[in-house]
Amino acid sequence: MKLRILLADDHEIVRRGLCALLQKHEGWEVCGEASDGREAIEMAKQLKPDVVIVDIGMPHLNGLDTTRQLLQHDANFKVIVLTITDSDQVIREALDAGARGFVLKSDAARDLVSAVEALQSKRMFFTPRVNDLVLAGFLDKGHAISRDQPPILPTLTVREREVTQLLAEGKSSKEVASLLNLSTKTVETHRSNIMRKLSLHSIRDLVVYAIKNNIIQIQMPPQIHTPTETTVA
Amino acid sequence: MAVRILLVDDHPIVRQGLRTLLEGRPGWEVVGEASDGYEALEKVTSLQPDVVVLDVTMPRMNGLEACRSIQKRKNDGLEVLFVTQHDSPQMMREALDAGARGYVVKSNAARDLLEAVEAVSQHRVFTALAKSIQVTS
Repeated sequence: MKLRILLADDHEIVRRGLCALLQKHEGWEVCGEASDGREAIEMAKQLKPDVVIVDIGMPHLNGLDTTRQLLQHDANFKVIVLTITDSDQVIREALDAGARGFVLKSDAARDLVSAVEALQSKRMFFTPRVNDLVLAGFLDKGHAISRDQPPILPTLTVREREVTQLLAEGKSSKEVASLLNLSTKTVETHRSNIMRKLSLHSIRDLVVYAIKNNIIQIQMPPQIHTPTETTVA
Repeated sequence: MAVRILLVDDHPIVRQGLRTLLEGRPGWEVVGEASDGYEALEKVTSLQPDVVVLDVTMPRMNGLEACRSIQKRKNDGLEVLFVTQHDSPQMMREALDAGARGYVVKSNAARDLLEAVEAVSQHRVFTALAKSIQVTS
């Protein structure tokens, strides 16, 4: 019987690359592709894949919250997180969310097959840096991974985290309400609760909070030459 | 029409996705891949492609710098097309000023890339941000 894999990444070009890589492996099939976390959860519930591969930086619902919700729904889901960064905080959150694999996107062509093989054999797969952090935690040295540490987002409910991401992506309360099938009034209540719990005072504060806590991700462009830098002869 | 393409992106998985898409078009050939600007310059010289599909954000030498250097050494037929995640008119302007003939946003690459390569390979300008597409001769 084939190993069935569900892919979730907002870039179709990346999904094509991942599909090409995974389908070379005999006995594996990509049973579905999702372009955001919400779609991934719906498809996972329907398709019941053996492995779910989720990108962290997806719109509407990021990969970490997708992982949390998938495992809340069914603890047997095996999730590999794809990420552009292996900062301590992202590693900690991915482990805390319950991911069994952690692969850097830049190394996916090399590591992803090994990660899926590991999960297939009921093992976990992490990058060397994650292993170092886990070991440091075990030895209780330095920046340890510890369940005793306060969680990154201590006070937000699942729904509040979803609303936080959508507001930080620039959506209005009305748009959030439509996406989550809620009333605008309910979204505004969530919004007030989020601002109060996090001691934030503006949407700008909320965006900064969302970036700092990996709820949304941005990539800075290279330095652009501005007209003021142009020398006129 | 035969088109020889060089793919430049620091993520192999993205190059694989681009390759899969481009090689579906009869007559088009991905003649090489590079993972940063320096490697791209070497391969432009050695492989003489018709179109360079170039990412903006890369290590060692970014795509804008690479594009400017390519302009200095390119053959007459070669055109540069950016495929980037920066959905920004300012970045697009910068890319065109660097000498590129095309600009496509990565999130829409599957929708826009084939049309963009076709346009720039015929020396037309193709620019597509998430919400606007423009082709000019």
